[in-house]
Amino acid sequence: MAGLTFLGLMVKPGWEVVSQIKPLEPSPAPEGFSGKKWAMAVDLKKCWEAKEGCKDCILACHLVHNVPSIGSLKEEVKWIWTIEYGKAFPEHLHDFNRDEYRGRPVIVFCNQCDDPPCVKYCPTRATWKREDGIVMMDFHRCIGCRYCMAGCPYGSRSFNWRDPRPFIQKVNLEFPTRTKGVVEKCNFCEERLAKGLLPACVEACKEKALIFGDLNDPNSEMRRILMGRHILQRQPELGTKPKVYYMV
Amino acid sequence: MTFFDGRKIIPGLLFFVGLVTYPIWYNTLSGKATSVPKLEIPKDKKECIEPKNIIRVHHKEILEDWRTSVVRNGMRVYQASNQKKYTMSLNRTCMECHKDKTKFCDRCHTYMGVTNKCWDCHLYPQELEKGAK
Amino acid sequence: MRNKEHRLIDQEIPLLEHVRRSGKGFYLTISILIALVLWGVYAYLTQYRIGLGVTGLSRQIFWGVYITNFVFFIGISHAGTFISAILRVVKAEWRRPISRLSELTTVFILFFGVGSVLIDLGRPDRMLYAIRYAHFRSPLLWDVCSIATYLTVSSICLYLALIPDIAIMRDIGMKKRQWLYEILSLGFTGTEKQWHRLEKAIMFMSIIVIPIMITVHTVVSYVFAMTIQPMWHSAIFGPYFVAGALFSGIATVITIMTILRKVYHLEEYLKPIHFYNLGTLLLAMTLLWLYFTLGEYVATFYGNEPSQMAIFWSKLTGQYAPLFWLHFILCFVIPFPILANPKTRTIKGTLIASISINIGMWLERFVIIVPTLTRQRIPVEGAIYIPTWVEWSILIGCLSFFSLLYALFTKFFPIIPIWEIHEGRGKSIDEVKRRLQSYLPGKE
Repeated sequence: MAGLTFLGLMVKPGWEVVSQIKPLEPSPAPEGFSGKKWAMAVDLKKCWEAKEGCKDCILACHLVHNVPSIGSLKEEVKWIWTIEYGKAFPEHLHDFNRDEYRGRPVIVFCNQCDDPPCVKYCPTRATWKREDGIVMMDFHRCIGCRYCMAGCPYGSRSFNWRDPRPFIQKVNLEFPTRTKGVVEKCNFCEERLAKGLLPACVEACKEKALIFGDLNDPNSEMRRILMGRHILQRQPELGTKPKVYYMV
Repeated sequence: MTFFDGRKIIPGLLFFVGLVTYPIWYNTLSGKATSVPKLEIPKDKKECIEPKNIIRVHHKEILEDWRTSVVRNGMRVYQASNQKKYTMSLNRTCMECHKDKTKFCDRCHTYMGVTNKCWDCHLYPQELEKGAK
Repeated sequence: MRNKEHRLIDQEIPLLEHVRRSGKGFYLTISILIALVLWGVYAYLTQYRIGLGVTGLSRQIFWGVYITNFVFFIGISHAGTFISAILRVVKAEWRRPISRLSELTTVFILFFGVGSVLIDLGRPDRMLYAIRYAHFRSPLLWDVCSIATYLTVSSICLYLALIPDIAIMRDIGMKKRQWLYEILSLGFTGTEKQWHRLEKAIMFMSIIVIPIMITVHTVVSYVFAMTIQPMWHSAIFGPYFVAGALFSGIATVITIMTILRKVYHLEEYLKPIHFYNLGTLLLAMTLLWLYFTLGEYVATFYGNEPSQMAIFWSKLTGQYAPLFWLHFILCFVIPFPILANPKTRTIKGTLIASISINIGMWLERFVIIVPTLTRQRIPVEGAIYIPTWVEWSILIGCLSFFSLLYALFTKFFPIIPIWEIHEGRGKSIDEVKRRLQSYLPGKE
């Protein structure tokens, strides 16, 4: 019976070989990604100069990527959001922190780590690290096991607990929505980078508090900034090598 | 030696055969079998990315290859057999011309009983106009 | 001509009663179980239709009852291997009546262990992607491999030990299912050569299933231990989970034994001594479980690392304190006195201890998984997890389905191995006598 099944399964591939139907192959014409290493710097001082409750970056990101507004803490989906300073940098918290930091909102999103734990745990490789540094997400392959969410120490990933489409306030046709049952997170706007645009959050920030650039380019603004001020990262002792740098 | 009760068995057999072959004779008589789905072809464009006979058969594989190429390999430019370059995108290339999937894609797919999950995530240009927010 | 060796002797006829006859109680039980299973299916279909949002899971606590069920069921599956394989290898004669019922527990519960993970998936229609696009660096894939191996090997163990009894069923002649026994008995006629081969095969499989059993629950623990989450990332998880598995497994077997004994009137075969011996093993496991638990918590406490201590206190005095202390009472405080005192290590005593341990171990898995997720490394407000009706229905559905399959099995095959009892009555007494004499001083 096993033999017959095997023979049966070989019919289609066998027919394709015999009838010489060649499926067309896409031609490799890669965009210029090689050699780049994307990173983001967040200038908290500039961010805090904005008016109270500024959400420009969050709204821009969620609009461009059709991120649903579920409205409950239980099922919310968010690619970029703010948390309080003490929670963003718990290792920097002590009894005598400066008042200007205490309780202030810090923008957080996927750190696009260089040694991402989430990538290790995915059973289907639906998330992987691209050579330009972006930790990619393939919504076609995700089986929704949520192991990557268990791996991420920063809580950057969200799961679609129900069909997101009814909850999308304004649909962007340029980007697909997702189905229920898959995990999603910030992707450094890789589809915009492919068109030569900056990430949506960077473009939307009126204070110019978000800086995006190529770490491999010694002349980039990114590198210049990192040489300048004191940099904080979220929990670097975990060895994830995050690519988001915070300047206070 | 058993007798068979012809009066009960033969009509029953005919009924069974009729039931089993229902799809064949119903579709032939009602004309559905010979009807070919009518696709709404874009009026202004003359050609697709590939010739009709190839794209008709291979569009599924082409789209799957595009998906792998764009999402997993980051490569977005497709060189067609007519040497023209196209962006590998369902929305930005295919749906740019075939704006409404219900008048194009669905026609054949419904006829053939083919289901695909593309539209669970991908939106088509006319979808917004139809009031899907 | 059939060999007299495997002819059924009159003494063993009661063992076939439950196969041949089904009383009203059986049909009533089956009906209730089917109803519960259908209710569980309805709950799952609701989840499939709407999404995992119908559960109590949230962005913060995204693993709950289903993953607890997964670890719990895989844990129970260690019962069969322990009792049938290990006791067979050490030649413990008292394992004879209980070997099949424990192997059966293993084989059937593994389906629900795997099933629980599949139920938990956001896109179950893509479940085969884990095989098609397998990423072997992921502990979940190690799980897939080890559980698949374990299921295969355990099924083979169960089947091999079943063959002589199938031959008996075939020889007696059950009208409706004769064809089944003809095929499954593989032409076993009880010749000297066949017995020799069968015994060798059973011994071989019993030996290799033991390291596989240890690997399975170690790998399941690695799903948690290999992450860097506080109170999950612990080297002791491997042995801790294996000990916990054996613990809950033996408890489950005792519970099932008690039920079968009552329902099928097997008092002659499942005697107090069997419960006493299993109770002794359970006592050893209780202490082993206590050892690992103390090791885990005392080391965490002494280290006093902030991210770990936040979760430690949440378990001991905080949000999860009621469940934590309840599980400790159920896993240790209640069973230990019952099992430690030989006078209370009776059928009733071990049953009470076992039920307490099973509930306690389910809670233990819950208390390992959920508190870590409430915080991970960053305190999050409002992270509570209250399982909904969907999750409880699916749990009850899984348990009912397991019971249903088990009950149906007993209608096809005898649950107490007839050939093993027969062998025990005959050959084994001489063999044990010879063995005992070889230990005592003097020539062979």
